[in-house]
Amino acid sequence: MKILKRVLGVVLALFVAAMFLFPLLWVVLASFKTKLELLAVPPVFIFQPTLQNYINAFNSDFPMQVRNSLIIAISSTVISIILGSLTAYGFSRYAIKGSDFLQFWILSLRMLPAIAVVVPFYLVFRMLGLLDTHIALILVYCLFNISFAVWVLKGFFDEIPLELEEAAMLDGYSPPQVFLRVALPLARSGLATTAVFCLIQSLNEFLLAVSLTTRVAETAPVGLSKVQTLMGVDWGLLSAASVLFMLPIVIFTIIVRNELVRGMSFGRMK
Amino acid sequence: MARLELEQLDCWYGKTHAVDHIDLVVEDGELCVLLGPSGCGKTSTLRMIAGFVQPAACEIYLDGQPISHLYPGDRNIAMVFQSYALYPHKTVREHFIFPLIPAKIPKHEIEQRVNETADFLDMHDLLDRYPSELSSGQQQRVAIGRALIRRPQLFLLDEPLNNLDEHLRVEMRANLRKMQQDLRITTVYVTHDQVEAQALGDKIVVMDMGHIRQVGSPQEIYLHPSDLFVAGFIGTPPMNFINCRLERGESQVVLRNTHFSLPIQAPLAARTESLAEGKELILGVRPEHIRVKSQPEEGAIPTEVYVLEPQSNELILDLKLGDLMIKARDDKRELGFRPEVGQRVWIEFLQDYVHLFDRETEQRLGG
Repeated sequence: MKILKRVLGVVLALFVAAMFLFPLLWVVLASFKTKLELLAVPPVFIFQPTLQNYINAFNSDFPMQVRNSLIIAISSTVISIILGSLTAYGFSRYAIKGSDFLQFWILSLRMLPAIAVVVPFYLVFRMLGLLDTHIALILVYCLFNISFAVWVLKGFFDEIPLELEEAAMLDGYSPPQVFLRVALPLARSGLATTAVFCLIQSLNEFLLAVSLTTRVAETAPVGLSKVQTLMGVDWGLLSAASVLFMLPIVIFTIIVRNELVRGMSFGRMK
Repeated sequence: MARLELEQLDCWYGKTHAVDHIDLVVEDGELCVLLGPSGCGKTSTLRMIAGFVQPAACEIYLDGQPISHLYPGDRNIAMVFQSYALYPHKTVREHFIFPLIPAKIPKHEIEQRVNETADFLDMHDLLDRYPSELSSGQQQRVAIGRALIRRPQLFLLDEPLNNLDEHLRVEMRANLRKMQQDLRITTVYVTHDQVEAQALGDKIVVMDMGHIRQVGSPQEIYLHPSDLFVAGFIGTPPMNFINCRLERGESQVVLRNTHFSLPIQAPLAARTESLAEGKELILGVRPEHIRVKSQPEEGAIPTEVYVLEPQSNELILDLKLGDLMIKARDDKRELGFRPEVGQRVWIEFLQDYVHLFDRETEQRLGG
């Protein structure tokens, strides 16, 4: 009976995983197909792969758009982690007047719907002459990235026993040094988690990107949406571009996978 | 000369007066134990000495220099925390090296000190392990090594033996004492375990509710406790307290209780000279100072055996005297007989070791 339950559980898990992974698999396959193969009914799984879609992707504006996306996402993530970790540490270790309110207010920024601020931001950046620049999107993305970073990292800093920092203080380390040499290394998995989520959020963002950029600072999600022309959608090109756009974040997550897993297993701090 | 002086040390935690204007001196090379129940202020005192808690107006002197305004790292003090406070991401070797970096110790000396410390604590084969790979006792040794490698002037320990099992605790107690004596380092040690305090301390400071109740050597505190609290805190099983009343007969002084009438001799009687007739007192006598006899004797009080608690070489007897429970502790061989539950036995207090306390002030009548 137990074995049956187990087998059923595994089958169910595989089924759910397959459901989630299927669209990804389809896109990857599609990126290697020709137009005819793409539109075939019933769907074709075995075929002669072609790189034409990838070649087309590289020859379009797509590389520039990916470059923009990466510049904006990485910059915003780095700034958010630096400022967010400092803020979170402050909330965690120091008694600050009104800190509960401040923390909630910072969290509430995360809940801000983009559509509510699109027009004001457009007007402000136009006035500043910053439309269609990297800096505009970096700043705007920092809004929700910093908020996210503060909330997540405060939780991780709270988990670090204060005694570890007190021991370092006794050894002669100044408070900034204690932060850099004791608190940050111990919050490594929190930093990795925050970085991954900030990157994903920034890379995927569409509404503000499409509103605040035109040509120079155009990001990949905007670019991908433009593949849908009046003359139809080049699904092969779209698939290839999507796969290429997926790669940076997949690679980064693989690099930090140990940290991410560590963050999920508490009880590390004895 | 690493002499520690605390002058009117005082601090509050919200509405609680955690430490109430205490004065204390710890001499150079002395091991001073802060002893008391949870919440008495001993850990708060330690944390103020270390610099983690800012006290209200007061001063702390180490080696003649005021340190209460200094950053913890500038006080030349090291501490072993109750939880050991080891860094999960550092090896044992890195733990030893870490404290030496801010002091800008040259590399070759760092190496030398690491080796010395590893020798001292017998940890050479553990140097490359992480804290999660060490046993409790080993972790504690790392915490001690990490503290002592800086050669501090003052060594603070916050209930370091709490997390160890009984056998290891007794062993580590002796090791710690030997280490402290060899290094002749001024030490302040916090514990709630009075057995530990007696075994380790040159000087014991008994604290309660933010106040110091008594300061003295283990012997002094044991033999001459200053008040009811100290008398009841030190000693296992704790001292028996019996309410009684002072009565002066023609030839002798008598302590009267509903269940017995105990004549007392000098020098005990001398301590009651200045007191009024009928004064309410508390008689205090330790279980080990009660002799249990199987036969009635002159001056011995009849009681009934209620419970027997055998120990390795002793017997603890719980004796019923009316509505009073008295514990007596006798060596099995010296007892001379095998008591049984329900048996009538007679007890005699060794008058040299009987204490009298004023029931109102809770102070011991001096002598």
